[in-house]
Amino acid sequence: MKLLLRLKSLFQKDHLDDQLSDELAFHLEQQEAELIEKGFTPQQAKLEARRLFGPIASTREECRDKRKTQYLEDLSADTCFTLRSLRKSPTFSLIAILTLALGIGANTAFFSTAYGILFKPLPYPQPRQLVTLDEGMTGVGPVTTLRTLSTTTEYVGYVSSLDLNLFESGEASKLRASRTTFNLAQVLQTNPQLGRWFKQENERPGLHRVAVLSDQLWRTRFNANPNIVGRTITLNERPYEVLGVMPPSFAFPTPQTELWLPIPIDPRNVGEIWGNGNFLPIGRLKPNHTLATAQSEIRPLLDKVRSSFPWRMPDLYGANATVVRHDAALIKQVQPKLLVLAGATFLLLLIACGNVGNLLLARGIHRQREFSLRAALGASNARLLRQLLTENLILVILGGTAGLAIALLLFEALPMVFPKDTPRLEELLSDPTLPLGAAASLAVTILLFTTVPLLGGLSLKPSRHASKFSLTLIGIELALATTLLIGAALMGHTLWQLANQDSGIPATNVTTARIATGPSRCPNPDSCQALLNDLTQTLIQDPAIRSINWTNAAPFDPSFASVASAIEDHPKLPSDPAFVLWQTAATPGYFNTLGIRILAGRAFNDTDQAKSQLVTIISESTARRFWPNQNPIGKRVRPVYDPNWRTIIGVASDASLYSITGYPSWIDGVQYLPLTQSRFLSERNLQLSILLETTNNNWPSQLKQRYPDIVISNIATLGALRDSSIQSQRSTATLLTLFAVLGLILGIAGVHGVIAHRAAQRTKEMGIRMALGARPAQLVRMVLAETFIASTLGTSAVIVAAWLLSRYLKSLVFGITIHDPLAFTLSPAILILAATIAASIPAIRATRTDPALTLRQD
Amino acid sequence: MSKPNDLLQGTLDLLILKTISLEPVHGWAIAKRIQQSSGDVLLVQQGSLYPALHRLEQQGWIDSETKPTESGRVAKFYSLTKAGKKQLAIELNQWDRLSSAVSLVVRPA
Repeated sequence: MKLLLRLKSLFQKDHLDDQLSDELAFHLEQQEAELIEKGFTPQQAKLEARRLFGPIASTREECRDKRKTQYLEDLSADTCFTLRSLRKSPTFSLIAILTLALGIGANTAFFSTAYGILFKPLPYPQPRQLVTLDEGMTGVGPVTTLRTLSTTTEYVGYVSSLDLNLFESGEASKLRASRTTFNLAQVLQTNPQLGRWFKQENERPGLHRVAVLSDQLWRTRFNANPNIVGRTITLNERPYEVLGVMPPSFAFPTPQTELWLPIPIDPRNVGEIWGNGNFLPIGRLKPNHTLATAQSEIRPLLDKVRSSFPWRMPDLYGANATVVRHDAALIKQVQPKLLVLAGATFLLLLIACGNVGNLLLARGIHRQREFSLRAALGASNARLLRQLLTENLILVILGGTAGLAIALLLFEALPMVFPKDTPRLEELLSDPTLPLGAAASLAVTILLFTTVPLLGGLSLKPSRHASKFSLTLIGIELALATTLLIGAALMGHTLWQLANQDSGIPATNVTTARIATGPSRCPNPDSCQALLNDLTQTLIQDPAIRSINWTNAAPFDPSFASVASAIEDHPKLPSDPAFVLWQTAATPGYFNTLGIRILAGRAFNDTDQAKSQLVTIISESTARRFWPNQNPIGKRVRPVYDPNWRTIIGVASDASLYSITGYPSWIDGVQYLPLTQSRFLSERNLQLSILLETTNNNWPSQLKQRYPDIVISNIATLGALRDSSIQSQRSTATLLTLFAVLGLILGIAGVHGVIAHRAAQRTKEMGIRMALGARPAQLVRMVLAETFIASTLGTSAVIVAAWLLSRYLKSLVFGITIHDPLAFTLSPAILILAATIAASIPAIRATRTDPALTLRQD
Repeated sequence: MSKPNDLLQGTLDLLILKTISLEPVHGWAIAKRIQQSSGDVLLVQQGSLYPALHRLEQQGWIDSETKPTESGRVAKFYSLTKAGKKQLAIELNQWDRLSSAVSLVVRPA
């Protein structure tokens, strides 16, 4: 209420002033009239009335003061004054505002990203009740048994990604689907926006040909047809009934999932149900249950599940299972990267603030005269400080506004920085929580710009203290820049290691693609083989194609199968976990095309057919591990579920097919099979990768011409696959380098500014010293000593902090330790060197001035 | 005219609020009425009357309105707001306590 009155007073200032004059005039008139009645002449009455009233001007002033609008009026005066003085020194204003904008912009963008991906609640009701298993059991059998037995948690199972061919209006395309148990929608508490979700009966084979579409698929492929429910669509040549359409926000298991199908559970299909581990659990805690109660239940429960396997499972399988929150598990992978980037932009913001702070200090010293004058005219200290704070705030507001624009630009670029499968990325892009990030960044900046001037005693008084203060600021800035530089150096070194990592696959110019067909093309292994031969024949006509090979998966794809295996000479107890071999099926020319050498024995050839002896090739390190100092040729291996042994016929040079950084520790060895003898030719929906040495790119149309229903996807060269497999490290390294360079530039600019300023202040002192016989070199050294001490103190203090902080980079670095000596010595060295150079320019300039001139000043 | 007694600190507000509690009054009339009602004992300094009026207005206790006087000249009339009526009651109560307390001290029964 009072504020409202005050605001009213502020806006009606002129009107109120008129009213006041009028009111006082009326009073005087009345007084005069009374006096005239008492016998005064009009002239005398006028004078007497004035005398009786007293000083009118000060009464008027006092009345005005009562309106309490002084602060607001001062504020608007200060604002006008600040804007005018900013316009008068455009270089200063531009540098200060841009620096702040950079810091605030970067920080806003990455704070919002970190919040949106790491901390924002998942878009399901009560998302904290959703749990998953870490080191648990997977597979349809184990998960549905858990679903039946658990009393604390309602478990759901899902296949995270499954490629299907959709044949719609004469065109074949690949869809990314997920098969789930019927209760997924119920557990995630999300209902279809159209139609309904599956029922339990849809898990029965025969009733399972129903599908629920994603909003995206419904809009792009079916024109958002409102009558889609009940329609039949063709998936892998089979008719499926559309049951419903999910809302756009539903992005489980991934934002790319386009279709959900029920999992058909046929208890007679024991191998598929218990042997295929590609079926993951997620669950919702039942009412009145917590993570702790779910945890206390899970291990005994998994013991029961282990004993219900149709074959003996290792005792350790699932023995260390823990129930974890789903949201935490989801972001585990991206968390370090996001925290590192958000942290880096925060440091950048601090450096930017430090720099602008120093600019302000320097300007404050120049304005000493202005402040002294105003103080002499009666301005109180508080009043002057208030003006300075207003000025700072205006700078922050201008910088913040420009910063928001930068943040929006950065946000547009986010998809380039994060891989497409980053959890929650799409959700973030469609609903950026920018205001939150902006508020956080602005709060930090405003806090710094209001407390630091107070701490620094902001140059209202003698500048000796302020000058020391700016040296300290410089030290802190350089320390922060060092941290950034160390981070960038660690990631840069990692990237260098990755780029030069020998994957054992020298070929880069080989084109790969995923080829998929439906069951009618490939009803049995013989017809599959015939189809492959025919595809090969079709392409071989093209003179631009030098070689054609087939494999189950292109290199650097970690999503492909590994097989629990028995290995000759290395028996295992049934209670122990089996060896796991990485399995690649390939045609004979595979090794040659990829540049993998055969070190012993032979490669596959055309005599290796489905009915001939089962053979395999193992990698060099697998041979060394299992048969050191022995000839592995002739030894045998087999999958645990298959009684037929495969004979080793050759040893191939090591190749990192899993990812260029090698294989994970749970893989014990690498084996190759002839494609003719692999299970990949007996799958109903043929899905293989083609490897082509070709100089033209129109081969897909040649294949399409002959087989219109074939789906060709993921066309890329091996070089591109290799590059994209290190995309995450590359983008982190690039961003950190960018931030570090910005930090370095800001830091160095800060050093230059402060030293130049200090040198300018000390010209008189230097003049005296020179007149007394000091040599220029001594003076330069004197000025440089300060910078050197500030930068060395700053950088060395921070090495300890960086040493501790670098563990957050642990999951991102490769080929170096997180305490990489190179990064930890080079970065501080670069900074101290750069700072010293930056300081030496003004230092040398200062000694060039004529002592006689400087002494004569003032 | 004898020198008027200085107004007791803080009593000016009470006098103003009481004076305008019956009907809207302009500044000159407020001063006159206080002087007349007190039998010419209390003489309000013009220099403090107007700042006081503006302060009370800013506090939301009194409201102002410009309208013509009997003579036809336009003047600023003050009246009590709702909050002002409450404040008057509070100040009257305080005044009673103060005056009886002072009486107890200077004229013990």
